[in-house]
Amino acid sequence: MQIPFTHLQGAHCETATIASLLQHRGLHVTEPQVFGIGSGFFFAYLPFIKVSDQKFPLVSFRAPPGSILKKVGKRLGVTFHDVTFKDEGKAMDALDRALDQGIPTALQTGVYWLPYLPGAFRFHFNAHNIIVYGREGDEYLVSDPVLAEPVRCSRADLQRARFSRGDMAPNGRLYYPLTVPAQVDLKGPVRQGLKDACFNMLKIPVPLIGVRGMRRLARVVEGWPAKLGPEMAALNIGHLVLLLEEIGTGGAGFRFMYGAFLRDAAQILGMDGLADAARRLTAVGDRWRDFALLASRTCKGRKVVENPYGHLADILRECADREEAIFRDVRALVR
Amino acid sequence: MEGLELELRALIQQACDLDDAKMATLTDDDPLVGPESPLGLDSLDALEIVTAVQRQYAVRIDNQNTSIRVLQSIRILADFIRQEKAMA
Repeated sequence: MQIPFTHLQGAHCETATIASLLQHRGLHVTEPQVFGIGSGFFFAYLPFIKVSDQKFPLVSFRAPPGSILKKVGKRLGVTFHDVTFKDEGKAMDALDRALDQGIPTALQTGVYWLPYLPGAFRFHFNAHNIIVYGREGDEYLVSDPVLAEPVRCSRADLQRARFSRGDMAPNGRLYYPLTVPAQVDLKGPVRQGLKDACFNMLKIPVPLIGVRGMRRLARVVEGWPAKLGPEMAALNIGHLVLLLEEIGTGGAGFRFMYGAFLRDAAQILGMDGLADAARRLTAVGDRWRDFALLASRTCKGRKVVENPYGHLADILRECADREEAIFRDVRALVR
Repeated sequence: MEGLELELRALIQQACDLDDAKMATLTDDDPLVGPESPLGLDSLDALEIVTAVQRQYAVRIDNQNTSIRVLQSIRILADFIRQEKAMA
């Protein structure tokens, strides 16, 4: 049994999965539009949340998993069936029932347990989103937005990936749209998404979020060699670069994607200023990549500048200043 | 071996601090990154290659999924750069 479904390779699994599901139901929103309307753009430095065995602080370059889906649904008038399970058998039965009804179904999975992914890209990350659009015997047909083509996955492997343990455990979560409006005027949702992103980056009264969080992280990074010693400082910076560029939290990648959303928003709202903001944000994305590159070289002990941690902090402050200026301009345009 | 493929070899060698002997083991169809790669490069090396390509050819590899795809081999990376330059 195979549901006719168009596979979409995307930049980020959650946004690409939502865009694919909505497009399948006839609502043509792009992946950057999902990211922007869902207020995916974000920054948070949360030292009280520790990740991995080494207890590194959590740094996030995107809104928390699940929030994009909720906001996209609310703003576009789409309702989603979104459930988790305690019982593995019931979770697989629910997937089979949805497929029998002809519904392509999104699953939250642990990347490490998906055998079709190349070894280099299988790591312990439990918030990877994929779509299952059919079943043949013991195998499921999978549209994984990381890959160029659809793949197959056995029932046992899929079940294991859906019940991967650890941080952000998926607990068998599945979701799909229940009701989708035939047409949506994107002006309102785009404006709401922009306003929300401006609030998140500029106005949340917590110094760990938005541009203030970036500046706080800069101060912390600068102090790592003295506070932690060279070895732990290098491990911390290595952890940060993995969050930045590897496990779907990508700082630079999200800047590029939000740049694409701003270009769309400029057209949808007829505001040239947003196109200018798009160009500027894309340039900031390149600076985030410079940050990741220097951090990576520092972590690996390769040739770097004098006082790399100070230099990294300077780049963070520069990114914060430039993003603050961009979001202040966007806020002035859409208020 | 074509000109761009040769240039990319030199670029990758320099970006990732690789010696001649290691580069000699790489064909144009071998994966550049991961356990299957003869170069033994990891995702942080991938970042080095991505930024070096952007600096040298003004071609932005803008997300992880594109990186996964284009870093499959020198040939695929070269084709991607040619395609991007043609569309620019």
